[in-house]
Amino acid sequence: MSIAVVTDSTSDLPADLVEKHGISVIPLNVHIEDETFLDGVTISSDEMYRRLPDAKVIPTTSAPSVGAFVELYEKLAKTHDEIISVHISSKLSLTHNSAVNAVAEMSSTTTPIAVVDTQQASMALGWTAVRVAEAISDGASLDDSVALAKKLSERAVFIGMVDTLKYLVRGGRIGKAQGFVGSLLRVKPILTIREGEAHPLERARNRSKGIARIKSLVAEYAPLEKLAVLYTTDEDDASEIANDIAEFDPDGSPAVAQLGPVVGNYLGPGMLGLGLIRAEPS
Amino acid sequence: MQNSMVESDRTGSKVLVEMIRATASAVEANRDTINALNVFPVPDGDTGTNMMLTLRSVVDDLGDDSSGTIGDIAKKMARSALLGARGNSGLILAQFFKGLSESLGTSDGEPLLRGTSFARSLRIAATNSYKAMPNPVEGTMLTVYRECADVAEASAAQNGSFENVLAAVAASSLETVRRTPQLLPVLAEAEVVDSGGFGFAVMLDGALRSLHGNEPAGRVVEVPMPGGTKFSGTVKADFVDASEEIDWGYCTVFAIQSESIDLDKLRAHMDQLGRSPIVDGTDGIAKVHVHMEDPGKALSAGLGYGLISNIEIVNMDEQTAGWAAARRNSAGRRRVPTLAAPKIAVVAVAAGDGLTDLIISAGLGATSVVEGGDTMNPSVADLLAAVNAAPSNKVILLPNNKNVVAAAQQVPDLTGKDVRVVPTRSVQTGVAALLAFSMDLSLDENAEAMNDVAGEVGEGRVCRASRDVTIYGREIKAGMAFATFDDVIVTVGRDPLFVLVKLIEECSDGAEIVTVYTGESLSPEQVKTTTETLEDKFADIEIEIVWGGQPHYDYLIAVE
Repeated sequence: MSIAVVTDSTSDLPADLVEKHGISVIPLNVHIEDETFLDGVTISSDEMYRRLPDAKVIPTTSAPSVGAFVELYEKLAKTHDEIISVHISSKLSLTHNSAVNAVAEMSSTTTPIAVVDTQQASMALGWTAVRVAEAISDGASLDDSVALAKKLSERAVFIGMVDTLKYLVRGGRIGKAQGFVGSLLRVKPILTIREGEAHPLERARNRSKGIARIKSLVAEYAPLEKLAVLYTTDEDDASEIANDIAEFDPDGSPAVAQLGPVVGNYLGPGMLGLGLIRAEPS
Repeated sequence: MQNSMVESDRTGSKVLVEMIRATASAVEANRDTINALNVFPVPDGDTGTNMMLTLRSVVDDLGDDSSGTIGDIAKKMARSALLGARGNSGLILAQFFKGLSESLGTSDGEPLLRGTSFARSLRIAATNSYKAMPNPVEGTMLTVYRECADVAEASAAQNGSFENVLAAVAASSLETVRRTPQLLPVLAEAEVVDSGGFGFAVMLDGALRSLHGNEPAGRVVEVPMPGGTKFSGTVKADFVDASEEIDWGYCTVFAIQSESIDLDKLRAHMDQLGRSPIVDGTDGIAKVHVHMEDPGKALSAGLGYGLISNIEIVNMDEQTAGWAAARRNSAGRRRVPTLAAPKIAVVAVAAGDGLTDLIISAGLGATSVVEGGDTMNPSVADLLAAVNAAPSNKVILLPNNKNVVAAAQQVPDLTGKDVRVVPTRSVQTGVAALLAFSMDLSLDENAEAMNDVAGEVGEGRVCRASRDVTIYGREIKAGMAFATFDDVIVTVGRDPLFVLVKLIEECSDGAEIVTVYTGESLSPEQVKTTTETLEDKFADIEIEIVWGGQPHYDYLIAVE
C-alpha cells in the first residue's frame, strides 16, 4: 500500500526536505496589488518581504481552490493507493476546508483520502508532514498515519518573535495576542500557536533579549524530535541561533527555514522563531 | 477622691478625641517644616503632607462622635489610620494608633486613659513598628517610639498620671529627635533631623496643649537641632513644579494692524514689558503673545505700532491654581482596565500621563492605575479600593514608589482577594516588571517573574533640588540638577540634560537597553534636544526615549 503525503505551502518546508520525503506541497495564493502569485512557485519569500512594507494595498492570501485540490488528489491517486493530507489550522486559513470539500467532490473515487487539521502552521506543520512521511516509509497504515498526525499536532510548537504586530492585526490573524497590541514601549512580542490560533507568549524588552529568550525556550521544550530555526528576512541571525542551539537537535544540526510568503505576510520582516516537535514523554 | 475626679474629667473619651484632633492641627501647622526636613530635596511624597492626611482621615472618620469607651474609639481610630495611611510615615503613625487600640482594648472597658495604659500603647507601637518595616533604621520614627516608650514606662512606674506621662514623653521626644543625626549619618550631613520623628514630637506637643486647654492646640514647634543650631530650610514645594516658562500673570494676545511694523523692535519692546514674547507678522499685520502682570501695558504699547484687535487675555494664576489643586488632590484616582474578566488583574501606581498610558498599554487590558499623587502618596484605602475594584479575584499590586511599598503590603490582609505585592520601588521598574506579566502564568509564577525582572533593573532619576542641601558629600544649591542611581546621588550640575548624559555614562556599563522617560517639566523642544543629544552621544547603547509626563523628575531612567 503506498500512501501519498500532501501538505500546503504554509508548511515552509525547505526544498531538500520536500524532495527527500517525496511530499506534495499545494501552494496557497498571494495577492499583491492586482497580481496573484502561487506561494513559493511564482513568488519567492525574498521578493515578498521586499514588497511588503511599501505595498500600497495590503497583500492578501487565499487558500488553494477546491479544483486545485481535486486536481492534485486525482493525480496522486494514479500512483498511490491512499492519500493523507495535513494542513494549516482551519482558524488561520480555509485550506483545510478546501481539502475537505475536494474529497467530497471526489466521492466517486475509490482512493481513501484522509484530511487532518493540524492546528499548526509553518514548520510545526512541516515537521508533522515529515514525521508522517517517515512513519509511512516504516510501514505505517493510513489510520496509523492519521493518528500520528493528530498526536504530533499536540507536540508540535511554533514560536515567532516579530518586529511588529501590525501585519497580524491588519491580516486579521491577531487571535489571542490582542493584549500585546498597542504597546507604547518598543517591545518584541513573542507568539505561539495554541488551539489553532495566534497566542501571546512573552514580551522581550528588545531584539537581543528576544533572541536570548528564543534560545532558552528551546532548552525548556527539550528533548526534541525535530527542530528548525525560522526567519523571514534575517538569515544570519537565524543561522547564529541554530549554531547556539545545535545540541538540542537529535541530528546535531537544526534546519534553518525561511518563512514562505503566506505566513510571512502576517509576521513581517525581521521575524525570528522556531518550529519544533517535542519528543514523546517516556 | 480629689485626684481621680480631676482625672475622670480629663482623660475620658471626649478628651481623647480632642487630643487626637489637636495632633492633626499640630501637624498641619508644622507641615511645611516637616516636609522641608526630608533628606532628599524633592517634594515627592512628603512626610508632613502624608502624616497630616493620615491624621485627617482619623479625625474625619471620628466626626463629632465621642460616644463609646476609649477602647471603642481607639479601635475605630486604628482602623481609620491604617486605611488612611500614606507613605511610610503614615504607616508608622498607624502603628501608634494600633498601639493605643491594643492597650486600651485590654483595659476591660476602663473609661479613662492612664499613664500605664499610655506607656503600654507606646511600647506596643514601638515593637510592632520595628516588625512592620522591611528595613528598620535607627534615627527615624522607630527610635522616637522606642525611647518614648522607655520614658513613659519609667514615668508611669513612678505613679505618674496620664498627664505627667504625656508631658514627660512630649519633652523627651524632642530630645530624641535632636539626636537622630547621630544615629543616621545622612541626616547629619544634610543638616536635618528626622522628619517623621519631628512630626510625632509635634503631635505630642499638640496633644499636651489640648489636655492643658491651651489655645491654639496646634502651634508652630521649633525644630530641635543638635548643638543649638537653627533649622533654616525653606520649603519650595512649588519650585520643582515650575518649568523654564513660569506661568503666572496674564497671557496677553492681540493683533496689530499697520502698513509697516518693525517686528524686531516690537519684540524687544514686549520683552521689556513682560515675559516670553512671541511676535510674528506678515503684510500689514503682527500677532503678539506675551505674559504680563499688567496686560494693559502691552496693549498701550501696541497702540504705538498700529491699530490693535483680536484681544485675548487669560488669567494664568487661575489656570495654574486650579490645575495645581487638582493635582494635589489627585492621589488615589484610578484608570480602569478594558477586559471584563481577565484571569489575573494588575493594579499599578503611577504619576504622570505618559507613564499612566504606558502602564495601561503594557498591561494586557487587565491593568488599572492608581494616581501616584504629587506631594503625597496614595493611602492604604486608595490601594485597597483599587484592588477590590479590579476585574479579577487574583491581583498583582505594583506600588512603583519606595514610599508606597509598605502601604501596599498592608493590602493583602485587608481584602478577600488573592493579592501578591511585587515591591517595585520606582515607576520605571514597575513598567519593566509589567512586561513580564503573562496570563499563561499562575499568580505566584507571575509574582516571581515580575520580581525577578524588578531586581535586575537599575533606576535613575534626574531632577532639580527644591532647596539647598548637602548630601553624601555633595553640596547642592536650590535649582541645581542632580541625578541619583539606585538612590545614591551620582552627579550634580546646572543643566538636567547634561546631568542625564553623565548619569547614563556612569551607570550603563553592560546594559542592554536604557529607557529614558521625559517629565512634564520639559517642553517639546527640550524633549527633541534630549533625543538628539542622546542619539548622538550613545550611538552604541540601545536607548529608548519615551514621554513619561511625571512630576518633579525631568528624567527617569531604567537600565536593563
